Amino acid sequence: MTTTETGIKVADAGGIEDGEALVVDRDTTGHDDDIAVFHSDGAYYALDDTCSHGSASLADGWIEDGEVECPLHSARFCLRTGEPQCMPATLAARRHKVEERDGALYLFPGQEPAA
Amino acid sequence: MSTVDRVLIVGGGLAAVSLADALRSGGHTGDIVILSAEDHLPYDRPPLSKDVLLGRSGLEDIRLRPDEWYERVDFRTDARVASLDPDAGRVTLADGSEVTGDRIVLATGGVPRTPGGDPAVHVLRVWEDAERLRPRLVPGARVAVVGAGLIGAESAAVAAALGCEVTLIDPTEIPLLPVVGPEIATVLHARHAEAGIRCLNGGVESIERDGEFLRVAVTGLDEPVTADTVIAGIGIVPDTALAEAAGLTVDNGVVVDAGYRTSHPSVYAIGDVARRADEPRRHEHWDHARTSAERAAATLLGQDAPAQKAGWFWSDRHGSRLEGVGTMADAETRIVRGDAADGAFTVFGVAQGRLVAAAAIDRPRDIQAARRLVGRELPVDAAALADPATDLRKLLRARPVREER
Ligand SMILES: Cc1cc2nc3c(=O)[nH]c(=O)nc-3n(C[C@H](O)[C@H](O)[C@H](O)COP(=O)(O)OP(=O)(O)OC[C@H]3O[C@@H](n4cnc5c(N)ncnc54)[C@H](O)[C@@H]3O)c2cc1C
Ligand code: FES
Repeated sequence: MTTTETGIKVADAGGIEDGEALVVDRDTTGHDDDIAVFHSDGAYYALDDTCSHGSASLADGWIEDGEVECPLHSARFCLRTGEPQCMPATLAARRHKVEERDGALYLFPGQEPAA
Repeated sequence: MSTVDRVLIVGGGLAAVSLADALRSGGHTGDIVILSAEDHLPYDRPPLSKDVLLGRSGLEDIRLRPDEWYERVDFRTDARVASLDPDAGRVTLADGSEVTGDRIVLATGGVPRTPGGDPAVHVLRVWEDAERLRPRLVPGARVAVVGAGLIGAESAAVAAALGCEVTLIDPTEIPLLPVVGPEIATVLHARHAEAGIRCLNGGVESIERDGEFLRVAVTGLDEPVTADTVIAGIGIVPDTALAEAAGLTVDNGVVVDAGYRTSHPSVYAIGDVARRADEPRRHEHWDHARTSAERAAATLLGQDAPAQKAGWFWSDRHGSRLEGVGTMADAETRIVRGDAADGAFTVFGVAQGRLVAAAAIDRPRDIQAARRLVGRELPVDAAALADPATDLRKLLRARPVREER
């Protein structure tokens, strides 16, 4: 089996605290950006880590109510859809599928989550 | 209140664009007309004194909104409004044409103050200003920067990074001190000298041309400063001309209530040009343009205002980021978190057991927490704030009463 089918194990379940995020390096995923895996209110989400407005790491942002606020100019992104909620960002953040399975979190780089 | 079908916004900056966004997301389906005096589509101003001046960003990179956005609003460039008739709900453009609206919102920003009319004296407010200034910042150019506040400090840092010989002149010994407090202000100001900038403490008496260059006379200095280029960062004057001529209440800005209504029931004002009667000062920051627009939209649509957030600004210079929440002068006690010696630290300002202000160098997380702590008016514990081990996020969470946004 390949990681495209099983995903990459990025943490144990509960390994990312609520309101926190973890960065998965591009060298690990082969994706063209680092990927941030977020935990907000019991759900996990993954977006490209680099803010679509500039150079900040969204994993360093403020995670609350299903959104992440960029630490640099405070653009907010919906964690579920990746859509920017306010200026200055205009482009959506690319999304990746995350799955909780057998007591661990698996990331599927480049695969969109189910709607 | 009568229904609002057509909102007319005067001005094409961040406040205007934010208002259109907030109206649409608040469910407004009627017309939105935006009249902008500039001949560009709206762009972001903060990069003008940073990446644009450094030659790293162009106009396309700093556009506020993508092309599709303009399908939802009637945006007109090169449309300077010459006069306003509040009772008729009508404005007249410079070319004599008229535009009407059920509500009119003034988002006209401000114009930079300038200490002289010589073409080598530059200000920085619009794209054209940055375009004119950039080619002057070449290695070896002698640049005098008047005013060491936000824009002055940033452009001095950029000029130094580009190899100019920079002199930074300000009448206050340590600029920004009332806003960010002495700990942060001192460290910040010292960075200029570390970057090779000559800092002069004095007022500018005159700027005179002497052949190829300018002579800047500074109080207490025998020899004037010789400069090829002068950059003035000495603040803005709110652009209240329309409001004044229309008889609205104006006092260091167009005076508005907490819902951003002016003294006329159908005219509103937001962004840099507006001054809230219930607050001690007028705000001239990016975040205020956005939040004032959100609150004005709520008033216009008859909806509940979003929770009041603390004022926030940032400034980038010498590779560091300064951020401030509220005004440190409002604090009774200051609490330092982190170590000033390693450059990145935060100062919290507390009054009557609540966080009222914060300032930080390179600690964005602390500021994100502080913006929420100040906004929600939660009681804070000084020892917990000072302890670097305290997770500020938890301070916010631990409270039983959490305001929903
Ligand atoms: C160089 C620079 C750097 C900055 N950096 C920072 C920063 O790092 N951090 C921060 O927090 N803030 C920063 N700011 C401040 C921030 O950009 C402003 O607070 C914000 O742009 C204000 O938005 P506004 O829409 O109220 O006004 P403006 O952006 O000034 O927009 C006003 C618009 O109204 C138009 N207008 C005026 N009169 C008329 C008329 N009669 N008819 C039609 N249109 C009219 C003007 O042409 C202009 O387009 C910076 C500002 C500048 C200039
Ligand atoms: S880099 Fe994220 S909002 Fe600017």
